[in-house]
Amino acid sequence: MTSKFSITPYLFLAPALLVIAVFVLYPILAVVYYSFTDYNIVTPPVWVGLRNYQQLAKDPIFWQALKHSFIYLLVTPTLIFLSVLLAIVVNRKLSGIHAFRALFFIPVISGSIAVGIAWRLMLDTNGIINGMLIALGLLSEPIQWLAEPAYTLPIAMLLTIWLGLGYYMMIFLAGLQNIPEELYDAALIDGCNNWQKHWYISIPGLRPQITFVAVISSLAALQVFNEIFILTGGLGGILNSGVTVVFYLWRQAFRLQHAGMASAIAMVLLVITLLFSMMNIRILERGTEAES
Amino acid sequence: MSSRPAARSHQAAVIRKNLENLFLYIVLVLVAVITVFPFVWVFFTSFKGVTDPIYSVPPQLIPNAPTIDNYLRVWQQLPVWRFYINSIFVTLTIVVLNALFSSLAAYPLAKMRFRGREAFFFLLLATYIVPPVLTSIPSFVLAVKVFDYYDKIRSVIFPYLAGVLSIFLMRQAFKGVPDDLLDAGRIDGASELRIWWEIVMPVVRPSLATVAIITFVEQWNNFFWPSLMLHTREHMTLQVGLVALQGAFANDARGIAAGVVMTVVPMIVFFALLQQQFVRGLTGAVKG
Repeated sequence: MTSKFSITPYLFLAPALLVIAVFVLYPILAVVYYSFTDYNIVTPPVWVGLRNYQQLAKDPIFWQALKHSFIYLLVTPTLIFLSVLLAIVVNRKLSGIHAFRALFFIPVISGSIAVGIAWRLMLDTNGIINGMLIALGLLSEPIQWLAEPAYTLPIAMLLTIWLGLGYYMMIFLAGLQNIPEELYDAALIDGCNNWQKHWYISIPGLRPQITFVAVISSLAALQVFNEIFILTGGLGGILNSGVTVVFYLWRQAFRLQHAGMASAIAMVLLVITLLFSMMNIRILERGTEAES
Repeated sequence: MSSRPAARSHQAAVIRKNLENLFLYIVLVLVAVITVFPFVWVFFTSFKGVTDPIYSVPPQLIPNAPTIDNYLRVWQQLPVWRFYINSIFVTLTIVVLNALFSSLAAYPLAKMRFRGREAFFFLLLATYIVPPVLTSIPSFVLAVKVFDYYDKIRSVIFPYLAGVLSIFLMRQAFKGVPDDLLDAGRIDGASELRIWWEIVMPVVRPSLATVAIITFVEQWNNFFWPSLMLHTREHMTLQVGLVALQGAFANDARGIAAGVVMTVVPMIVFFALLQQQFVRGLTGAVKG
């Protein structure tokens, strides 16, 4: 390889770098600037210093949105638990297991908008969920699932879990198939029963996948929007019961034209995202070190 | 029946095995029902006429008098064929160009020595963590003030012409290509561009397929940015159009169900045809 300067590599990089510079790098800098301004997108931004951040700190809806986003993070442990269990089941050599695996993957590719709308119709006061529950005698009269503030977040979280389960199951399945069979044989000889062997072999063996899933699913949970948007009809739920940080950002920026305020929210989101991914990786890596 | 103890314990083991399998199948069927039910329900509902109730106790799933009226009504009131054409156009353009530009960028990052290589790579990786919703605010301003493509179809194409994940995956793939292959091309006097296109790209086809499938699913289902940009119905993609339909057919669950079916069916058909590639593509990115 020659060491003299050549422009070739930069030419290869140019198209992609241009796209990323315009649509990712510049926007990051612009958001930092906008967050210190009063900006409605139509007229030029006006510098206001820390005012947006001060207002945010006093904004009860923002604090509520933060709380909701942190509550939403509960989907991550739930998803990990359920998808590891499901992966262990579909890893068995049962007839027809490939069909089940494919079936469980369908929500992953279907898209949260279409599926969310289907859920919304089913959960309607005059929907099939109420019809079934009443027919089974579990309810005496229909519940307004989507109008009840206490249900907004849990229903959205259920939808997120339902959408992601098949994806994470496949990741864990691939991980399980990488664990050498001999380890299980050894565990059986040591007197482990079927479930113990998963506790002692499968779960530790899946650590890299668990780290990965914990990071990506918690980042996705922090950024949830589509589920909330569809289930609340774009309104965020009664009494803001479904407003998360990203939903609040969207509302400030694109419903109320408060681009400066929305940028301040974006900065808070960015800081949380960074802290969170670092924390996630730290904790899970420390676990691996302790083991080896 | 034999009464020898060895046979009896063997029999017990078989029974236990069968019971265990039965339990596993119950779990599998239960999860399958939960997974498939919304699709089945929305499918049947989309064929219900006015005589088949949406809500009843006990609920009725299968229509007594199936009809395609709902589909016709939706097609009449909304330019559904434009939604399809727009979605196909947007998705295919992005899949092809994103794979191309990302592969171009990944090649020097994997196979050339130049000043700033590590810096470029870490800069790219660092942007991966930035929430898309953050970049949407300045991107919106750019769309309105600089590129002047608000409400135009190209507005939902340009931002996705290169992606950090695609570059990362292609870089990994190129790293696996032996240097001897490249050197052979260089000795023959081929330009780097020709080496990339004629020697390296054919070798990394499986990774290109992975990138293409990830991009395809992501773009077909993309909603957030298109919903900010596209407002004229003729310019909408399927996902944005479906939400518009939901608004226009507010009290018409049958019509909305027809819209959901029309949005979801192409992807499910694709998935049924290319199951292995889908699963490998979407989850294969993990191994990185």
